Amino acid sequence: MSHTPNSIRLISGNSHPELAQKISQRLNIPLSIINAKQNSNNETFVTIGESIRDEDIYIIQTGCGKDKVNDFLMELLMLINACKSASARRITAVIPNFPYARQDKKDKSRAPITAKLIANLIQTAGCNHVITMDLHASQIQGFFTIPVDNLYAEPSVLEYLKHNIDLKNAIFVSPDAGGAKRVASTADKLDLNFALIHKERQKANEVSRMVLVGDVTDKICILIDDMADTCGTLVKAAETLLDNGANEVISIVTHGIFSGAAQQKLQGSKLSKLICTNTVPVGIEFDKLEQIDISPTLAEAIRRLHNGESISYLFTHAL
Amino acid sequence: MVHDIVVFSGSSHPGLVSKIVSNLSLEEGRVKLGKFSNGETSISIGESVREKDVYVIQSSCGNINDNFMELLIMLSACKTASAKRVTAVLPLFPYSRQPDLPYSKKGINRGKQSDTPAVEKPNPLEEENNNNTLTTSKTGYKTWIAQSGTLIAELLTKSGADHIITMDLHDAQFQGFFDISVDNLYSKPILQHYIQTKIPDYQNCVIVSPDAGGAKRATAIADNLLVPFALIHKEKRFFNPKHASNSNLDLSSPQNSASSSGSSGSQDGKSYATTMIVGDVEGKDCIIVDDLVDTSYTITRAAKLLKRQNCGKIYVLITHGIFSGDALERIQQSAIDKIVVTNSVPQEKHQEVLGDKLVVLDVSRILGEAIRRIHNGESVSILFDHGW
Repeated sequence: MSHTPNSIRLISGNSHPELAQKISQRLNIPLSIINAKQNSNNETFVTIGESIRDEDIYIIQTGCGKDKVNDFLMELLMLINACKSASARRITAVIPNFPYARQDKKDKSRAPITAKLIANLIQTAGCNHVITMDLHASQIQGFFTIPVDNLYAEPSVLEYLKHNIDLKNAIFVSPDAGGAKRVASTADKLDLNFALIHKERQKANEVSRMVLVGDVTDKICILIDDMADTCGTLVKAAETLLDNGANEVISIVTHGIFSGAAQQKLQGSKLSKLICTNTVPVGIEFDKLEQIDISPTLAEAIRRLHNGESISYLFTHAL
Repeated sequence: MVHDIVVFSGSSHPGLVSKIVSNLSLEEGRVKLGKFSNGETSISIGESVREKDVYVIQSSCGNINDNFMELLIMLSACKTASAKRVTAVLPLFPYSRQPDLPYSKKGINRGKQSDTPAVEKPNPLEEENNNNTLTTSKTGYKTWIAQSGTLIAELLTKSGADHIITMDLHDAQFQGFFDISVDNLYSKPILQHYIQTKIPDYQNCVIVSPDAGGAKRATAIADNLLVPFALIHKEKRFFNPKHASNSNLDLSSPQNSASSSGSSGSQDGKSYATTMIVGDVEGKDCIIVDDLVDTSYTITRAAKLLKRQNCGKIYVLITHGIFSGDALERIQQSAIDKIVVTNSVPQEKHQEVLGDKLVVLDVSRILGEAIRRIHNGESVSILFDHGW
């Protein structure tokens, strides 16, 4: 049976045009012409400017932006739905930072499991496949009934560490128990030790007391987490490490959301370096901030997905 | 009086909700609405909803996407918290107007628009020439405009809504997009009551529909009140030099106001929009009836056209007063004497600007009664004709 040629089409939402541009350059495929705007009554309005019939669609939209999270989400849903009704062959949502990923369990009575809701909404809109990166909880993959490729920033991060940081005297530190697994695996790959900070959290986005498990005396501590939001945890963890005799604290996060008073907290902090990826656009000014570009990983995942090749190579290899 | 019923308010229109719950002699359900510092919506429901009949009231106003997501999260939270039935009450339904064509130039090309006079529905030809973000005329592909209707319906259903209550849907077909039951209430009885009691000598008025789409809605009121009816007709004409001279529609009719209000950027003689009044309004007071006013281009233009026909006073009766963009300013400057809206969306700010020109009718009783009847399994249809 002969197939009509179907090719990759890249669609960029309004959340992170720079990333979409980089992916497009890497794949050497131009972004499709679309128009997504808000009307004067605040309703989102989407038009698609070229035929996408029977094409393989990749919509790049990340979860970010104070006051814009829900707007970008609705925009994504409408883009997916527009492509579906325009007879696309397959629609893949590329969501580097999955919105509402932390609302993933019913942790108190009647708490909404919003991550599950978002998964449902994305599928309802007509999505066939999801590519995301460093999900806060990998169980979110199970909220979907469509395939979800959860990529890792870790290979790119390791590559960066090898080239930019003197690892002989380094130790990896997880700022909370939840991230211990992620940090332990990174530490194993570089054959380094790891320590853990145990925190007693009282309210969301607020950190109370921190206890260090492990020895960091005279070491370069590399704090690893999946996201930095208000940065309360990071800043406190850095202080705790230095109080326990660490030489220097460097922090690496995948999703640099930096909301609320993150900028002030970071500027007053003792971190000697903060490294994040470009899954979300960085909205703060901080002179010790460095960015790792993960668009090659996303682009390669798109290419491999389109060609039906294995993605797992990307879990261990940086590009 | 009413048992096992919980009414929650979204953050869009708390004023209406407090009226509805007091009509039902209930307490508002305890819920904490807010946002996390990263902008994600956070809700926490403060009372048990297990095996309860839950109503979540959220209108479509302000930041629509935020309010809509908040509604979806609340519906799903109630559903996962074992509510027996979850009903979404949407006095104004979000995304109810299907954009068959980009309906206001302002809306799509914000900040980039040309200085052409405001046109409600620019013609597609002109759109293609002017819209530099969508230059697709080369391939001849007509841009695909997302139709959000089904999507919104499916999102609500998927979030856990078992039932929808709304009011004066722009498209009656919208009900068909749902697989769950939708009760579409009407403000018609309330508007009709206003005409009968507040408009002097209403028997000699003319009910006017500002476009063909609303003709049915307007004739229904006109028939009930036994008053005449007029229609403003907008159409796009293609200019044909050969027939221009003998086309009486284009030139001779005094009702034609094509030159001033209709013709838009494309002066190249390809096409232009005309508006005309079908029906006699001279010397009579006019009552313009429509379901919603957003940018207000439609009604202000209708008012201008009516004034040119030497009509008397102009009343405007609208269910949903959204008034986005410069709508309030435009109405202030127009020939409209009185504009009557309902409180399906908050009107406090509009009232401040328009003052006595704006009259707000209360729909909380009709919504409250619908909730009571649905909860008790009674018929709702009596509300369609008699109001409450």
